[in-house]
Amino acid sequence: MLNENKILFDPYQGFIRGNMFESIFDQYGNIYSFKPINEQAKLLTYLDMLEFACIDIGLYLDIYNDDNKKIEYYNELNKEKKRILDEYESKFGPIELCSDYLNRSPWSWDNDPWPWEV
Amino acid sequence: MWKYVKKLEYPVNIQKKDLNMAKALMAQYGGPDGELAASLRYINQRYNMPDGRGKALLTDIGTEELAHIEIIAAMVHQLMKGASIEELKQNGLTAQFVEHDHALFPVDAAMVPFTATYIETSGDWDADLVSDMAAEKRAKVTYENLMKMTNDPDVLAPLSFLRQREVVHYQRFKELREFYKQKYQKKDNQ
Repeated sequence: MLNENKILFDPYQGFIRGNMFESIFDQYGNIYSFKPINEQAKLLTYLDMLEFACIDIGLYLDIYNDDNKKIEYYNELNKEKKRILDEYESKFGPIELCSDYLNRSPWSWDNDPWPWEV
Repeated sequence: MWKYVKKLEYPVNIQKKDLNMAKALMAQYGGPDGELAASLRYINQRYNMPDGRGKALLTDIGTEELAHIEIIAAMVHQLMKGASIEELKQNGLTAQFVEHDHALFPVDAAMVPFTATYIETSGDWDADLVSDMAAEKRAKVTYENLMKMTNDPDVLAPLSFLRQREVVHYQRFKELREFYKQKYQKKDNQ
């Protein structure tokens, strides 16, 4: 089967396009870059970007499950994502229910902001 | 099982109220090619995929579509935020207000309620994947039409992201189908 997915964007360029794979990218209208207004927004964008790269490369690997180079890259990104997630939660509170930062009182899962209120 | 992450897959931060756009966006919330239908379609179809590749891909795309429901919901919520009854009336949202106030409810852009018949499951991998490819194409066109309705970059950026995801999902469904056609020696007309 012909593999049309050789070249990857870097995670930021992929994230703002909604597509990590240059050869299947289909531009329509503008590309919107991010201008984070504070440290929290900046770190969240970095986390979003790494999470997105993992999601998109993950879909690819579901089909091309013997592409070792991309499996290696996926694991690199995933490791960095975990590091950034930890940094984000340590500074701004838990965003996952299995977070180590839920170990304090009062319970902080119910803290604002919720994703639709940011 | 599923786990919640308290953030959006792509951020939504809309400053300007736009009720016309909120109503139009409902196409991608409770409409036939909307994110809710897409998510449930793939999550239901995955049980009949013939091997792990298909089960993984439909699970993962179905899961991503759940995150897209949340993006559309956030957009509609922010576009309607603080709208007065008078403003809702003027923008064709009388029925929305009477039955649901400002609450989210899965209908399409014409207020037609979501129905399970949007979720196509045939039990046949080829029929399902052809249907999924078509659904992704239709959703892409809907996003393009929605993008023609606004000049607000706060609205265009997430729409552009979501449109591009349809492009990627289409490609992956196509690749899976090609892979299965070879593996199970099935021709297009069979």
